[in-house]
Amino acid sequence: MGLDLIGYKPWNGKRTEHNRRFLVIADSIVKQKLSSRWLLGLLILGTFLVHIIPIILNSLRPHEVLESSVMIDYMEGGLFYIFDIILVSLVCSDLIAEDIRSNSIVLYLSRALPPERYLIGKWLGAMSVICLFTLVPPLAMSVAITATQTGPDYVASLAVIGQTFLAGLWTALFLVPIGLMISALTNKKTYAGVGTFMFFFVLSIVAAILSQMSNDWTLLSPQNVLNDTYHVLFGLTLPGDVNLVLLGVMAFALTVPPIIPVYYRILRKGVGK
Amino acid sequence: MIYISNLESSEQGGATTTDSDPSGVSEAENTIIATDITVQYDSVIALDHFSINIPKGIVGLLGPNGAGKSTFIKTVLGLVMPQHGDILVDGLDPRKDVMSIRDRVGYMPEHDCLIDAMTGVEMVAFFGRLSGMSKEDTIPRSHEVLDFVGLGEERYRPISTYSTGMKQRAKLAQAIVHDPEILFLDEPTNGMDPLGREEMLTLIGRIGASNKSILVSSHILQDMEQICQHVIIINNGKAIMQGTMAALLDQGDSRKRLKVRGKPDSILKFVEHLRQKLEVLSTSEEYGQLTIVLTNRGGSDVILNLARDDGIQIRAYLPDRITLEDVFIRSVKEEI
Repeated sequence: MGLDLIGYKPWNGKRTEHNRRFLVIADSIVKQKLSSRWLLGLLILGTFLVHIIPIILNSLRPHEVLESSVMIDYMEGGLFYIFDIILVSLVCSDLIAEDIRSNSIVLYLSRALPPERYLIGKWLGAMSVICLFTLVPPLAMSVAITATQTGPDYVASLAVIGQTFLAGLWTALFLVPIGLMISALTNKKTYAGVGTFMFFFVLSIVAAILSQMSNDWTLLSPQNVLNDTYHVLFGLTLPGDVNLVLLGVMAFALTVPPIIPVYYRILRKGVGK
Repeated sequence: MIYISNLESSEQGGATTTDSDPSGVSEAENTIIATDITVQYDSVIALDHFSINIPKGIVGLLGPNGAGKSTFIKTVLGLVMPQHGDILVDGLDPRKDVMSIRDRVGYMPEHDCLIDAMTGVEMVAFFGRLSGMSKEDTIPRSHEVLDFVGLGEERYRPISTYSTGMKQRAKLAQAIVHDPEILFLDEPTNGMDPLGREEMLTLIGRIGASNKSILVSSHILQDMEQICQHVIIINNGKAIMQGTMAALLDQGDSRKRLKVRGKPDSILKFVEHLRQKLEVLSTSEEYGQLTIVLTNRGGSDVILNLARDDGIQIRAYLPDRITLEDVFIRSVKEEI
């Protein structure tokens, strides 16, 4: 490798995409994740095991209309949740941890990119990938069931499609902040990946143990919180023993506060602390 | 702080100290003006009432490790907010216009900071886009700057496989992809072999020739001496000296270095006689030879006569040359 004797050429173009910087980060994450064979393999396997079979079975089964109970039974499945958390662990593990380890976070923040936009870019990238599993297949299933329905009430089916959209989006919204938080707490992506999975897994076990004292403790489990919020989103009545206020508090606690340490960690790392 | 300018002459050979014009240029020509900046991390004071004016051109920011060089760059970039003082970058205040400043700046950090999973060209294009360039513009521009920094086919390899020299080139490429007006280079030759170092300095010189303001932070003084037009020396968070490179290294024609040999008592007598006739600045002994730095505006016959009378051999009598290293060590020692 020798020095190429080309002189420095100033660039006379105009920079016009200042407001799209966070989209550049999100776009880069989606491309990087979808070029990973491991992740792609997991997505394909999960889609086949979790989504394809229910889509075929529910479409073939005689039905008059798309019912929310069908969708909720499908989305509450344990396998769906397990693949969700494995996927979140894999997708989010390196998002911030790797930038901290490699110090590239300094390059991001030395650009005209405020920490919050950096964070939004990372969040949006993770959301886009996770939604490929939590949003797109449920939507496909709801559309497939609607397309094969025998009854005339397409408006009701359309409403359930809308609710499915919200539920799929909510699943990603619910899971990604924890993944980002744990990724920001370490500079090793392996720790972040295992840590994210263990966070969801351990909380579920602890909730199962403590629920013997009071049923409210079941809401310590992210899976239970997610399943109960599906009931709310699909307009179904919650199981009688679920405390709605506590459900709201837990849904909030698992989605909003985890972003705060991420933000401050980015701020600190940006100045090299 | 001592401001050295070669615009005025003085008794000490053309260079002078002045408190009125920090950089030797008018205020309008200064890219960065820092006044009384204080930055404190917990109990550590990184910049202590730090005041400098940075003119256009290639400016060297010199100082020992931990002197506050990187903190100053981060303060200019708005990554660190000063607790006290004012700072202006192209007339903009990092406290209010931090994003406008960052849009004008390219930054090459000291440590590894590249995205290992990307190839060189992907990474440069990515940071071009993060600087607001469109997708259509970034690809040709990325190849252009990678050609410029001398990364050939390696640009298609993942950065994780790069050598230190290639990484330094890639870091420079990402800093210039958006053609910034101001460039901050933090230890640009860090970890490079002598050939790579030379090439990196040539690249910096070429960028500087295109009317950019480049602030190079380094403790490799030979590198700085080679490329910088202006130098700022900092220590313990304070700017202790600044001026043009020519003024800093200009010792004047009258400053001479005299090397003599002889019997110890004859040498002592010679030095004493010399002090009576000329200004002796310093003496140092090495391997039985005495080196005397003195000021002599007249001819050499005074010295030759004294040496003959005292029985001293003159081994050398030359104009005294000073390196940036000498200036640096002297100014840091004076500060201590």
